[in-house]
Amino acid sequence: MIAFNKLSGGAIQDNFGLTLEIEGGVQSGLQEFVVRQDAPSGIAESLSRPEEFRVLEAAFEAGVTVPKPLWLCEDLDVSGQLFYVMTRADGSASPRQLVKSDFTGEQRRMIVRRLGAELAKLHTVRPPMRSLDFLTVPDQGDAALSRVSTYRRHLQEIAEPHPVLEWALNWLEDNTPEPGPTVLCHCDFRTGNYMMADAKLTAILDWEFAAWSDPAEDLGWFCSRSWRFGANEREAGGVGEKADFLSGYREAGGTDIDPAAVSYWEVMALMRWAIIALQQARRHISGEQRSLELALTGRMVAQMEFDLLTQIQELEDNQ
Amino acid sequence: MINQPDNHDLLIEARQVLLNSLTPELTGARKYEALMIANAMSMAIRELGQSEQAKVEEADQAVSAFLAARSQPNPNIEGEISLAEAIRERRLDGREPALRDVLRTLTEARLGINSPGYLKR
Repeated sequence: MIAFNKLSGGAIQDNFGLTLEIEGGVQSGLQEFVVRQDAPSGIAESLSRPEEFRVLEAAFEAGVTVPKPLWLCEDLDVSGQLFYVMTRADGSASPRQLVKSDFTGEQRRMIVRRLGAELAKLHTVRPPMRSLDFLTVPDQGDAALSRVSTYRRHLQEIAEPHPVLEWALNWLEDNTPEPGPTVLCHCDFRTGNYMMADAKLTAILDWEFAAWSDPAEDLGWFCSRSWRFGANEREAGGVGEKADFLSGYREAGGTDIDPAAVSYWEVMALMRWAIIALQQARRHISGEQRSLELALTGRMVAQMEFDLLTQIQELEDNQ
Repeated sequence: MINQPDNHDLLIEARQVLLNSLTPELTGARKYEALMIANAMSMAIRELGQSEQAKVEEADQAVSAFLAARSQPNPNIEGEISLAEAIRERRLDGREPALRDVLRTLTEARLGINSPGYLKR
């Protein structure tokens, strides 16, 4: 073993870089891996390490650019936690660095087209699939209504009133687009969760929220205002144009998705992030996990509320 | 009791020391923590400031007036709770421009404290 060190990022999981010098065999030479295991503050609604490993295998099999999943260890005697090992990708996932990069227009187009194409490959994975039987299929096949009822339940668990979120939930309930097929969605596919080396995609990361859902959910989450890191005019992840992202998706065999459905799921993305932020703040306020970062996340909810008001108005004005 | 300098003044000065003397000495995760502390202090400073307090009061009054005009219960007590309930129970028309105005006023008052820069984007 040449090196073993904790990598930055990941509040829910601990990632360690592992460098080995392997003698003989098919992988002879210096090899770099990542060991991923639960951190002490895991959150209940994300996948367990073994489940995430199965999702990663399914994505890898479908041809998505992901670290190759190698070994899952379910023996707690080894490190005290469940963990798995995957190959290590080059580059950086830093959203600020990526958004500030001095790419040419053509590079931007290629990057977001490629990201769209990656989602198209992922969305070829459909239920039923025995290796993914731990993922639940949305009620009545309507992922949007299923999300609305989940978020409404979560909002009712929050002590303080949020009239803007109540109003936006009603809007989301009343304006559902025609449901798409049910496919394997990453559900956290955004700038910050994929690695780039120069202008080239090297790996899509962080699969712990994967679920059976509507393909437009992943497309909308990627384009949401919350994940443009200040580069608001570049609707596709703060990196490129939405039209290029969607045509990359379509040309790689993705379902023909109405751009209006993507806009709808962008609104849903704002709602989801608001609910997550409220839950994070709740962990601080309740004393379960006192943290300045969680407290400040709670104060960010007004930004999502402002974006919800603005975006819904814009969608209606454009109808 | 008069206790001078007041809490608003103390926070402003403490934040200046944090940003001008301490933060430049820090790097990486420690610097990030110092900036989070400065951010939290900014919110508290604005929340104690008179102009933001006035905007919050105006927003609360706008909610009360809106509810009273629509004969919704308890317009004067915890208006925001009543407003949230009335929307959830679909007693108000979500398309009504006056409702959207009142929601925007509330949100802008909150943003004025939490992240005023967001309003200028």
